[in-house]
Amino acid sequence: MIDIRQKLEEIGAFEPHADDGLLVCRCEEVTKGEIRKAVHEGIFTIEEMRRYLRNGMGLCQGQTCGRLVKSIMAAELKETPDYVEPASARAPMRPIEMEILGKDQGGAYE
Amino acid sequence: MDIRRYDMIVIGAGPAGLSAAIEAAKHGVKPIVFDENARPGGQLFKQIHKFFGSKEHKAKIRGFKIGEELLAEAEKFGVEVVLNATVVGLYPDKEVTVKIGEEIQHFKGDSILVATGASENMVNFKGWTLPGVIGAGAAQTMMNLHHILPGKKVLMLGSGNVGLVVSFQLMQAGCEVVALCDAAPRIGGYGVHAAKVARCGVPFYLSHTIIEAEGDEYVTGVTIGEVGPDWKIIPGTEKHFDVDTICLAVGLSPMSQLLDQAGCQMKDTRGGFVPACDAEGQTSVPGIYAAGDVSGIEEASSAMIEGRISGITIAEYLGFAEKEEKESRISELEAQLDTLRQGMFAPANRGKKIEKTEEGIAISENLLVKGFVSDEEIGRFPGVTKQRKIHPVMECTQNIPCNPCQDACKRGCISIGSNITSLPVVDKEHECIGCGLCVASCSGQAIFLVEEDVEPGYGEVTMPYEFMPLPVVGEKGIACGRDGKAVCDCEVTKVRTSPAFDHTNLLTIKVPNDMLMKARFYRAKKEAAYD
Repeated sequence: MIDIRQKLEEIGAFEPHADDGLLVCRCEEVTKGEIRKAVHEGIFTIEEMRRYLRNGMGLCQGQTCGRLVKSIMAAELKETPDYVEPASARAPMRPIEMEILGKDQGGAYE
Repeated sequence: MDIRRYDMIVIGAGPAGLSAAIEAAKHGVKPIVFDENARPGGQLFKQIHKFFGSKEHKAKIRGFKIGEELLAEAEKFGVEVVLNATVVGLYPDKEVTVKIGEEIQHFKGDSILVATGASENMVNFKGWTLPGVIGAGAAQTMMNLHHILPGKKVLMLGSGNVGLVVSFQLMQAGCEVVALCDAAPRIGGYGVHAAKVARCGVPFYLSHTIIEAEGDEYVTGVTIGEVGPDWKIIPGTEKHFDVDTICLAVGLSPMSQLLDQAGCQMKDTRGGFVPACDAEGQTSVPGIYAAGDVSGIEEASSAMIEGRISGITIAEYLGFAEKEEKESRISELEAQLDTLRQGMFAPANRGKKIEKTEEGIAISENLLVKGFVSDEEIGRFPGVTKQRKIHPVMECTQNIPCNPCQDACKRGCISIGSNITSLPVVDKEHECIGCGLCVASCSGQAIFLVEEDVEPGYGEVTMPYEFMPLPVVGEKGIACGRDGKAVCDCEVTKVRTSPAFDHTNLLTIKVPNDMLMKARFYRAKKEAAYD
């Protein structure tokens, strides 16, 4: 279990960078600065970050930005990327229309 | 309304998935393969280059041909492939939900093989969301599947095999590749692939990365800069190029989420998030297997063997094959896989700097940084000999698992021996007849034929040539060196094509004798210029 308070103290305060405006998650329009800032607000896992900023929650489901978000968070936490716990994988694994999902009755159609 | 049951459900109809289904079907298993794409074959049908390896790995056959062979084999053994079928869920009890048409269908497998492959990595820089910034895989899809040119002037980021191979294909399709850059200090892919690109005149910028993609509506230019040891740009090293396309070849990540969802134990590695599995692809959930890139990035040849290993393992798991049968087939397949994992680029050597070949010859430093072996370095390799009469010059300078050249020469002029990664050696005892089969057989396009004094003061160089339009005999042009720079005027004296060459044409040019070891590429006069 990570001691969040201790870790926050260790990494110091959020400092603005010149490239904070850089889009990282283009589906949900989340910037590098927002991700870095969220780390200083105590968001240490991908799961939490996705719920907090909605990065990786758009059409590509983090296929493009997932690895980038992980490395930005790790750098901010002064750790290697494997320190950042990945998000749980859930169905539906690909974007799917509610209309189709709603018809699902748990069987196969002939 | 019920759940349909199958012996084996395969997710992904790429090289690994199809190979596994075929291998299992050979033993009587009835597999079903789902793929979200409209065409089967995964990435194989985008691979227009000749593959490396030995005969059993289908070396010197182009990727898409291997794909066609795989599909024919799948059909022969009754493998059911369902296309436009997106697997949206995989559960620990081996239930699979698939979106087919406008419906979700449920299937249950006695075994599941996940062969979902990988997706391309991205990098962020200012302007990376502009239209014109594309993945190298996307560029290949546009060119090789849809016959659409991705752009006219391209900058490639990434010097791994994907970056190198796609750069060459972009030029074959008619694009200009203005530069190839990589933040790493050394070229990551095969030297022979780099050399092919370099002799077309593409400059390599190692230890360089993209600072900014320029343009308002779409890409109109790019600025790169040199990175220091702290990975930051060194001020004053910026270089600008006018381009309309920026191609990114910065690695792949396994698409392993389905395995995670099914409750398989996962590992967070530098190569991505992968399932913990044994040599046969068995994950921590009994009956769920993984093969190909999803279990760790390699390439198509090893994915096909991994697939076959999982296929026979599943057949035995389901009771369709005997244990002894499985074990003997696996030892045969593992031997093939081991061969592919030998040499300088073996998975075990990833990230290491290799200074010498297995033969103890110093690696060309120039090749690792500029993309070509310098005139001073080339002579130290065993495939390069100086003879007056016609003979092969094999500019193969790194230990990679590949040996078609040895089989190609019926006269015995070329020897690699039993160790597939050894550098080819010219055997001077045997007489070369200039048939050119070795030139066409080399997947790295690294073999040339050289003959001195075909007429007083002039000799001939024969080179592999895969560009259109083909030059014609008698045409006057410019011979370029390994660095792509013009070295002398020349005349085309022979253009050979043959089904045996499989679209690698042999172009023979006449150059002064002292240029025979320098001239390695041909350009028509109007395109080339001397510095």
